[in-house]
Amino acid sequence: MLEINNLVKYRGTQEILSGISFKARPGRVTGFLGPNGAGKSSTLRILLGLDRATSGSALVNGMPFAELHNPLVTIGAALDGSGAHRRRTGRAHLRWMARAAGLSSSRVEEVLEIVGLTKAADKRVGNYSLGMGKRLGMAAALLGDPQILVLDEPVNGLDPEGIRFIRTFLRERAESGNTVLLSSHLIGELAETVDDVVIIKHGKIVADGTLEEVIGNHSNLEEAFFARTSAHAGDAV
Amino acid sequence: MRAFNAELSKLFSLPGIWLAFFIGAIAPAVIAALDSMAQKEEIIAGVSTRLSEVGYIGLALGVQGVIILGVLAVSSEYLTESSESGGGQQITTSLTVVSSRLHLLLAKAGAVTVISILLCIVAIMTTVSATHLVLGEYTPAFEGSKLLGAVWYWTFTALLAFGITVLTKNGIIPLAVLIINTSVVSFSFLLSKVTKLALYLPDRAGTEMFMFTSDRFLSPFTGGLVMFAWVVVLFIAAAIVFHRRDVAS
Repeated sequence: MLEINNLVKYRGTQEILSGISFKARPGRVTGFLGPNGAGKSSTLRILLGLDRATSGSALVNGMPFAELHNPLVTIGAALDGSGAHRRRTGRAHLRWMARAAGLSSSRVEEVLEIVGLTKAADKRVGNYSLGMGKRLGMAAALLGDPQILVLDEPVNGLDPEGIRFIRTFLRERAESGNTVLLSSHLIGELAETVDDVVIIKHGKIVADGTLEEVIGNHSNLEEAFFARTSAHAGDAV
Repeated sequence: MRAFNAELSKLFSLPGIWLAFFIGAIAPAVIAALDSMAQKEEIIAGVSTRLSEVGYIGLALGVQGVIILGVLAVSSEYLTESSESGGGQQITTSLTVVSSRLHLLLAKAGAVTVISILLCIVAIMTTVSATHLVLGEYTPAFEGSKLLGAVWYWTFTALLAFGITVLTKNGIIPLAVLIINTSVVSFSFLLSKVTKLALYLPDRAGTEMFMFTSDRFLSPFTGGLVMFAWVVVLFIAAAIVFHRRDVAS
């Protein structure tokens, strides 16, 4: 379970997040949607202890990220790119992570297999395509077999095959009882994947509910999204 | 301990680290050999004024290997992927694996310390061998305490490079400044012409542990202590900044 409570973030004098709150529940894929620059990545970074909130809290199973003893086994995250040094091989990247989390190197081989990178594991990350980098990021997130996955723009820049892989994979994770939170500005690609939807605009939540609730009277999620994020958007659900 | 192992694993899987090892193992020996060749006649004639520095000069000027090591340990975390592959940085991964920033920094500093000590021991072996090769029976005896001083000097230098890079997040500036300072122009040497306070700068104070028997300013122990104080102050500053800084900033 992920809980964001009244989160406020200033960068300099600019308010990036103006008191946002939402939850991501076990067994469901929660889509965190919004235009570029709405505050999605800032929220995820605060959740993962990478950035500090000005006020409010972001809790992972009731605890701030910094208090998790071995975070990799509780929460797996894939943010920008692969998160690996470009001169290191994919396998070496996963190996140091496994060492840090006290996991076996056979688990490294397992996650390489899951994301389909076994053959490319000894190539340097700098030679990976965007899709391969994303797969490596996904392998890293899965390394500790966590109950919670947090993914920032997982399908951005992927080819149709890659998008399908991510979709199927995330559905399976959620159906086996895990919590999945993913952010995206690509609405159409995700409508079939998410159970719950949170829409953010200019650092404020403008919609929060199940997919059906958020779609409401609109013909589809995309229409609902634009209705809420365009200039004359209505109030939150 | 797990975080420390992971940091060692990170360092050994970076290609750049092998350059640091190569330079660390070879540069001091080459400098010491060249200096010994230049002084050989004076040493044989028994008129050399720098007899006590023979060999050690290589260890004083050849610290670039550990400077690269200290810088790379940190700058590799902040190297940004190309924008077409997502523009990520390894630091985000590191901090999502080890949630305590102080813990991560200590693990990293520990790995740099251990590798620096080992690298300096290798450098001492190559340097002493190179000096013997050039001077043969005229080689002055190497004292254990001074060699130990050189090991500390290398380790502290690596940690200073490490601390500065935590503050700058980028390897280019610390690498350029520190390498120029140790090999081309010593800023503390230039400043010492203006004020005696410059003799308390870390590089100068640190070399007192094994050099400068003719124009000594601090005792070897005090020199080591002064350099260590610099390391501690810089590490505390680095830890505070690292603890507070947003990764996105």
